[in-house]
Amino acid sequence: MKHWNFRLRLGVVILAAFIVLGFVVPLFSPVNPIEWGTYLKNLKPSGEHPFGTTNLGQDTFWLLAKSVQNSFLIGILVAFFATLIGALLGLWAGFKGGFADRLITVLTDSFIVIPTLPILILLGSLMQGKASLLMIAAVLIIFNWPWPARQLRSMALSLSERDFISTALFSGQSTLKIIVKEIFPFVAGWSVANFINTILVAIGAESGLAVIGMSSNEQATLGTMIYWANQHQAMLAGRWWWIGSPVAAIALIFIALFLVMTGYQQYSALRRGK
Amino acid sequence: MGFYKFLLTRLLTFILVVFIGITTVFFVPRFMPSDPVEAMIGKMTANQAFMEPEAIVTLRETLNESFGLEGSVLQQYFGFVKRVILTQDFGPSLASYPIPVNELIARALPWTMGLLLISTLIAWLIGNVVGLLAGFRKDKAYSKALEGVSIVIYPIPYYILSLILIMLLSYIFPIFPLTATFQGEGFTWEHIRSIVYNSILPALSMILVGTGWWVISMKTLSSGIAEEDYVQFARLKGLSERKIMTKYVLPNAALPQVTMLALQVGSIFNGALITEILFGYPGIGTLIYQGILQADYNLIMGTITISIVAVAGATFIVDFLYPFFDPRVRYK
Amino acid sequence: MSKMKRLTTGLLLMAVLLSACTGGGNNGPEPTGGAGGGGADGGNEPAGTEAAGGGGGGKMTDVGTPRSETLIVDILGGRSPDPERFNPYVPGAVAMDAGVHQLMFSNLWEIDTQKGTQIPDLAATFPEPLDDTNTKFRFKVQEGLAWSDGTPFTAHDVEFTSKMISETKELGWNGYYTSLVKSMKAIDDYTIEVETVNPETRLSQKLGVVIWGNNFRVMPKHIWENEDPATFKFPDPIGVGPYKLSKRDPQGNWFLWEKREDWQKSDIGKLVGEPGPKYILFKYFGPEEKRIIGMIQHDMDILQDITPESWDVLKQKNEYARAWYQEFPYATMDDPCERGMSFNTAKEPYDNPDVRWALALMTDIKNVSMATFGGMLRVSPIQLPPIQVLQETYHKPMLDWLKDFQLEDGYKPFDETYAEGIVDMLKQQGIEGLPTDPQAIADTFGVGWWKYDPDKAAQLLEKNGFKKDGDKWLLPSGEPWTMTINAPANFEVQSMRLAFAVADSWRKGGIDVNVQQMEGASFWDSESTGAFEIGSYWPACGLLPDTTANMTGWHKQYIVPIGEQAPGNRNRWANDRVSELLDELDGLKPDDPKVVRNITEINQEFVKGIPFLPMFGTSKFVPVDTYYWEGYQTSEDAFEGPWWWWSQFKFYTPHLKPTGR
Repeated sequence: MKHWNFRLRLGVVILAAFIVLGFVVPLFSPVNPIEWGTYLKNLKPSGEHPFGTTNLGQDTFWLLAKSVQNSFLIGILVAFFATLIGALLGLWAGFKGGFADRLITVLTDSFIVIPTLPILILLGSLMQGKASLLMIAAVLIIFNWPWPARQLRSMALSLSERDFISTALFSGQSTLKIIVKEIFPFVAGWSVANFINTILVAIGAESGLAVIGMSSNEQATLGTMIYWANQHQAMLAGRWWWIGSPVAAIALIFIALFLVMTGYQQYSALRRGK
Repeated sequence: MGFYKFLLTRLLTFILVVFIGITTVFFVPRFMPSDPVEAMIGKMTANQAFMEPEAIVTLRETLNESFGLEGSVLQQYFGFVKRVILTQDFGPSLASYPIPVNELIARALPWTMGLLLISTLIAWLIGNVVGLLAGFRKDKAYSKALEGVSIVIYPIPYYILSLILIMLLSYIFPIFPLTATFQGEGFTWEHIRSIVYNSILPALSMILVGTGWWVISMKTLSSGIAEEDYVQFARLKGLSERKIMTKYVLPNAALPQVTMLALQVGSIFNGALITEILFGYPGIGTLIYQGILQADYNLIMGTITISIVAVAGATFIVDFLYPFFDPRVRYK
Repeated sequence: MSKMKRLTTGLLLMAVLLSACTGGGNNGPEPTGGAGGGGADGGNEPAGTEAAGGGGGGKMTDVGTPRSETLIVDILGGRSPDPERFNPYVPGAVAMDAGVHQLMFSNLWEIDTQKGTQIPDLAATFPEPLDDTNTKFRFKVQEGLAWSDGTPFTAHDVEFTSKMISETKELGWNGYYTSLVKSMKAIDDYTIEVETVNPETRLSQKLGVVIWGNNFRVMPKHIWENEDPATFKFPDPIGVGPYKLSKRDPQGNWFLWEKREDWQKSDIGKLVGEPGPKYILFKYFGPEEKRIIGMIQHDMDILQDITPESWDVLKQKNEYARAWYQEFPYATMDDPCERGMSFNTAKEPYDNPDVRWALALMTDIKNVSMATFGGMLRVSPIQLPPIQVLQETYHKPMLDWLKDFQLEDGYKPFDETYAEGIVDMLKQQGIEGLPTDPQAIADTFGVGWWKYDPDKAAQLLEKNGFKKDGDKWLLPSGEPWTMTINAPANFEVQSMRLAFAVADSWRKGGIDVNVQQMEGASFWDSESTGAFEIGSYWPACGLLPDTTANMTGWHKQYIVPIGEQAPGNRNRWANDRVSELLDELDGLKPDDPKVVRNITEINQEFVKGIPFLPMFGTSKFVPVDTYYWEGYQTSEDAFEGPWWWWSQFKFYTPHLKPTGR
């Protein structure tokens, strides 16, 4: 803790606050936060309702807590698997070359050239509302792994020309070992950036789908919360506590992740420097 | 000789990728639980115009015939591939029957390309400059401020960000128009001015939302490179920071960003969807959306095929140019 | 150094490549844009010069007309894919609601929704049978009218239009038309004789407007006779209506209509009087937020169909905006379709009327109303929408029967206190300006609905083998009861919200409900093929006291198995008595007193079986801005309903007057 810089500390604190909000607070919810008509409509923030109530008679605070939880789950799930699959395949392709490279390249390229949003909407009408949050996460993983794969392949291409890699190669180490030991440290920074970005892409894509009605609008996520607030003109009507809280939550979560990421880089640079 | 072999494999990949893409795009809509004929009838009856049950039956027959939806899916597929390869013709739009899909695309494409390509490019440039500064000169106050701003704006969902812009710049301070109305026509000053004037707000929203990612990835790349041995060595040699930045850090960090930019051509079509709907801007995004809503197979396939070819083409060019940027990579 | 150079050249190369693309982008629209302008050039010039002369420094619209002389109307259906196309007989491409059928094209007969009768438009008289076979009719067309290019309008245009539809197989409407009309002949310039295929009792309803518009739009013979109707675009459209097309957006976002100089020779000029606005601009503003902002800024005069929340915002921010009623509930409730839950009676367990009744009694209708549209809704317990005309003909006369109606075991489900109850609830929410007179309360909120009685619902379910496990219901088979409600995704907002509100209510009753939002295409398709359990569809419309036409679809002959496209009766509900009554209605004239009797009995059958659980009439917020224009129809001055997207719009135009701002 001693060497933690300001960024890292601030990031961890905000992140911890949201994790508590998302995973601990909902346990204490007195009511089912998604149900309509539990309270009077459109109450302004007060002691009883710290974030007011929605036009549908839900308490915004409890709803937000539940939404943070679901969005976190989707985001982390998608980001983790998409980055992992993408990094492994991309590095493998870039480093190994040959047929594996060509196969993976064709595969990633095919996925990348298909515009995501229209296909997601198409899939949405295919799934006929059986789209659970897990299913949405799965679809988002399918469309998000090619990006890191492609990027890391080109990084690996450039890295593999360097001397220390050649040395490692000549010394007879296995490809996987080289990837993990020699290359990964170089691409780790980028991968973390991609991970964080994918969390956001996932949360953003889910909310994009929510607006179109493909996401499960009866589940509380930050996306569906924005969707319902928008449906009820919360912005124009000045009900900022309803529309503002999920937007602020998304922004804060991201900033926290970002601070942790850059803070950690500084921290490790400092440690290496020592 | 390695060059020609490289060219050939890349070309093959390109063709393969486009083919896989098109095939997916042909089959996915066919699995949809709806068909364009029913959508058209729904549209007509939803207007509450009275129609007798018999009228609907005959209408359905007529439409099936004129839409060319007879025969098995496989027959339709081969017909489609043949048509697209031989004549680049996607047939008539089904929702806006009988306008040819090609005509709709030709009318929409320039708008989308103009607006989105320019704003993507601007976002890329700004983002990389800011990211480079933030990564390389991370202790300066201005780079912190710039970075801070882009990091706060970036995660706001695009739809909300655009709405805030609209509220701010065409409602509270009515500087820009609420809807796009284009004056004049052709290559007149009036026309061009009104296009530019009407495009500023949507472009601004795209730039704001697009910049953040470039800042983040550029920052990561450049701060990583700044710690590499050769940069440290350059420092020891006494080169100015500015020189180190432009000579050592930028070229190495810019490479992956160029690849990424080419790939962004694809997300242009994603972004187009919401931007165009929200700002009332005529373009391909609105077309895709309408196509999906109305189960307009031909329109969906036409628009998505175009975007597939565009992105595949861009990546092909980048791959081809890559060794040119980075001498360490050879064509292989 | 050389590396840097290479990079620079590389970047430059990219830049050139990219800018080449964008350069192409700016060139691109020229040909189409040019063509678009070219088509409109005829009307363009006089408009431009007059606008410049008459404007006198006042505010101008963004299409270059003086704001004080321009009425701006929202386009309900969005952009036109091809603004060059006005051939109304090729399905799909023409956005009728961009002013095309409101201002330019005219129908033979129009509708007066306030009186609930049809009125003459291009036809001067209604079809009179020539013999007692009911297959030969004669009617007159208006004399002294002209197309907007000056050519006189005669019976020959009508004859030509009829012949054209019959002879062109490619036209979507051809099939239906040829099954209805054998021939139309112009006896002289102003007389038409019609021969129908089968005996007809409602010809003017089938060829004239009842709801929204009608496909039979008379086309000018002198233009169309030289064209192929299947491919003709009709890029310079003309009509007999009081306005002509002056300018259009090549992108299809707006259409500017200008009053004809010879408006006296238009149908409205002859039948009503001089239209008020010199220009009418139909414009698509985009999503709801933008449409609202447009009216707050006085950039839009007439908005179509917004949500109650938007109306709340609008009324606070624009003191000139007003809706149908000055006070709560603001919205007009006379839209001719009612909303509710539609059951697929071919699917278990919804094939059981007891289950359908249990769901009705499980519906907390007051809370559903609050959650759907903030309580601004009128309930309806029967199969017809609770609009004024029908409410007087059916809802109120049926009240005694409804009160006495019993389920099999003698339970009386009707609750006539709904209206009072919702008024109390609204008072709690702090709503002001509510009606106080019991009569007015019932007129506004409806005659009553079914009781909210979960215990009785439970009893009905248990009788049929359902069991309760904790607070969740199990099907007779022992499996958990899960249910999917189909709902429109982001269109038909009232139906969409209703689905969520009902789901919320039934979920509290112990059923695992999930709402499936669907795009237009899938939504309609699953209704037609029976791929739904319960849907937020609206198979209950009506406007004239004679609702036969709206009900024929429920005949059992239209039932097809699940998976096939149903021509009618999409709920797949077979009722012999209803079918019998419908057959009988088919042979009756609309003004026969037996018509209302039969329809009343059909309604009673529907209450017993409830294949469709009616809930609310449709509330439409169609706000107008009185800043630049006045004389709009309102509840106080109800010369017509606010149906701005219907073809009868042209009949309102003489009432509109500039405020002089």
